[in-house]
Amino acid sequence: ERGGNNSFTHEALTLKYKLDNQFELVFVVGFQKILTLTYVDKLIDDVHKEFRDKYRNEFQQKGTLGLLNGTFDFKDDFMRLLRDAEESSKVRAPTVMKTFEQSLKSQKTVKCMIETRGEKPKEKVKNKKNKSSKKEGIEAVAAPGKASAGDKQPSAGGDKEELTKDEILQKNREEFFKRHMKSGEKSSKSPKPDAHKEKGKKPRVWDLGNSNAKVLDYSNSATNGSAEACPVEEFDPDIALGDRNREPGRLYDLEYESDDEAEEEKVVQNPSKPSVKKGGLGGMFGMLKGLVGSKSLTREDMDPVLEKMKDHLIAKNVAAEIAVQLCESVAKKLEGKVMGTFTTVTSTVKQALQEALVQILQPQRRVDVLRDVMDAQRHRRPYVVTFCGVNGVGKSTNLAKISFWLIENGFSVLIAACDTFRAGAVEQLRTHTRRLNALHPPESHGGRTMVQLYEKGYGKDAAGIAMEAISYARNQGFDVVLVDTAGRMQDNAPLMTALAKLIAVNAPDLVLFVGEALVGNEAVDQLVKFNKALADHSMAQTPRLIDGIVLTKFDTIDDKVGAAISMTYITSKPIVFVGTGQTYCDLRSLNAKAVVAALMKA
Amino acid sequence: GMAGPLEPHLEALRRELDPAVLSVLLALLAVAITLLVWRLVQGRRSSRKAVLLLGLCDAGKTLLFARLLTGRYRDTQTSITDSSAVYRVSNDKSANVTLIDLPGHESLRLQFLERFKAAARAIVFVVDSVAFQREVKDVAEFLYQVLVDSTVLKNAPALLIACNKQDVTMAKSAKLIQQQLEKELNTLRVTRSAAPTSLDATGGPAQLGKKGKDFDFSQLPMKVEFVECSARGSKGEEGDADFEGLEKWLAKIA
Repeated sequence: ERGGNNSFTHEALTLKYKLDNQFELVFVVGFQKILTLTYVDKLIDDVHKEFRDKYRNEFQQKGTLGLLNGTFDFKDDFMRLLRDAEESSKVRAPTVMKTFEQSLKSQKTVKCMIETRGEKPKEKVKNKKNKSSKKEGIEAVAAPGKASAGDKQPSAGGDKEELTKDEILQKNREEFFKRHMKSGEKSSKSPKPDAHKEKGKKPRVWDLGNSNAKVLDYSNSATNGSAEACPVEEFDPDIALGDRNREPGRLYDLEYESDDEAEEEKVVQNPSKPSVKKGGLGGMFGMLKGLVGSKSLTREDMDPVLEKMKDHLIAKNVAAEIAVQLCESVAKKLEGKVMGTFTTVTSTVKQALQEALVQILQPQRRVDVLRDVMDAQRHRRPYVVTFCGVNGVGKSTNLAKISFWLIENGFSVLIAACDTFRAGAVEQLRTHTRRLNALHPPESHGGRTMVQLYEKGYGKDAAGIAMEAISYARNQGFDVVLVDTAGRMQDNAPLMTALAKLIAVNAPDLVLFVGEALVGNEAVDQLVKFNKALADHSMAQTPRLIDGIVLTKFDTIDDKVGAAISMTYITSKPIVFVGTGQTYCDLRSLNAKAVVAALMKA
Repeated sequence: GMAGPLEPHLEALRRELDPAVLSVLLALLAVAITLLVWRLVQGRRSSRKAVLLLGLCDAGKTLLFARLLTGRYRDTQTSITDSSAVYRVSNDKSANVTLIDLPGHESLRLQFLERFKAAARAIVFVVDSVAFQREVKDVAEFLYQVLVDSTVLKNAPALLIACNKQDVTMAKSAKLIQQQLEKELNTLRVTRSAAPTSLDATGGPAQLGKKGKDFDFSQLPMKVEFVECSARGSKGEEGDADFEGLEKWLAKIA
């Protein structure tokens, strides 16, 4: 589902890939990260085209058996394409240096270009530094060099190719030397055109005498961005005060960016609407064409549908940047795919989007708390769960729900009150403990108190309390320790440090991030900053990050369930619990299909 | 009786329409009905002809797939999509099954299982015998998810658990794997049924095996067998794969 971004870095290597959706091929090229090779994209495109044309028959006719049995002897073609790509980049390298020269000469060459197109190759041969011919030069090189380049190891599934590192290193050493030699010349020539341009500047006349403060006062037009539109030199306290008086009692935010962004969004959306309308008429014919016979999907076909889907997702409370990335990845996955008969573009895109969403909601390993608690029980140590999140998301409430569920399953729970800041936090947990003990009295569990509270009052260090609670649990034989922390904003650096310290020092078995389902774009920011804080302040080689998400207040959103998508997309961790109310029984687990169905519903 | 009221209408129709046109219409109708019947019959016959290859990542499914179909060794990569081909059982020319190799990656496996589970006549669950000790929980979790699926329970396809990579000396035997899986599944069915119910849940998850007794593979509605095999083969990449048990079982299924 992250297919929108086509490069991947791992240690010293960067990988770039290209998908062929028609024949289900993947082309991957790997090169060293420190080398910036400009011809990689072109190379991969050429390889793709050449390979596909050469082996088209085998793919179409023989299917899977053809892939398994066929030999794909592509090595010579690949070497040829690679050499051509490298040569074309070398031809370009000197031209990049002489940018200003081209701008001086460009007037000449443009006229030449208009008159006689046939003379272009001659110009290229004469003057390799010609910028305008640079664009044509690439095509000219590519045309004779259609020889493909691809070292293909016959393999059943994907196709992988690697440039030999030594060759790349050698070639790029040569390029680097060339660049070093030319750089000296470049710097000496650059000041010249600037000097030319400055002579052309005319002095500006400031009409300070006539102008009134009122003329330069833009504060009347719109209240949005008024603080920024007003030029600093013309600061007039009366007018600024006048603004404030006009809207008494309104609390100004420190940053007015929210309103600007809202305006920008509206502006962006408006031009997209007429294009959708235009697409409607043309889309009719396209749809008819699509119904009959097989046609392959192109970007233009998919764009209007994807726009609509993206807006739909954003309306369902998915974070904006994630909706964009999702649509990008779906586009990449479907581009060039051949549709069957009687399927429209809309249905194909919807199907692909649905699959991507289900995939996002079922990430790596499912967190089975009961199973892990049983394991910890066998090793005679308590299972520690830490709850973290911003203010007011429902950490304490859901902690009580989870302890109720654990008690129902026969595990004894110790609640550690590490929220030493909020007024009434400890009392709240004490009340919960009392009620839970009333519901599950020790008599019905063999004389064992099922839930107990460990607290040290207010104002103490949370990490210390957590450590003491864990050792107390180990001595007394409690099965689970639930650690409640204070809510904190993700931007509050000292509090984030304190949380990171608590987690790093106590090494809990499960770190749960509690997030409410009402959150929109904020979810992205919260999770990114929480993870970053945990990673930065941890001393260990592999830092403990967020292991799971608890999605709360799910009953307050009807079908605007986008927050679930945003959170799992950012962290790739599963949603472990869903809170659907304020009583002890309102704890659920996530049903991916139901959530996606609610999300795709119109 | 019933033809009575229709007869005047039929007579009127016959008089109005040209007999040639009428015969053409009747012919078309006959063709349409034949096509429909034929498709239904086809569908029912070929509805469950697939043998799914399931398992965790790096269990050896794609290599087994390649070996069964071509007999040769191939370098494989982690699958990201399904591959299917028709496999002809060696002795019997007419018997064939469609082998479908599904990806084992956690984010893909469930959606591919959804797509192909209805067509499954049999399932081969491939287990990496060398890494089994480390992965036992993940193997059991995936196997559990396959076994409690409603479609799988209804169709009860034959299940073969292929303990792969037996060419490595550290590989665990099929007997040990069976015991460990039974123990783990026993625990899992308790924890999974005690998990909080899911949103929009229609009843809880299905119960695996018999309550009260320890879980046993014989309690399942489908036939379960364990077999040892090695896709790479004891003679290395040049030699043949070691999977007679698997081939015999496939011959039985087809």
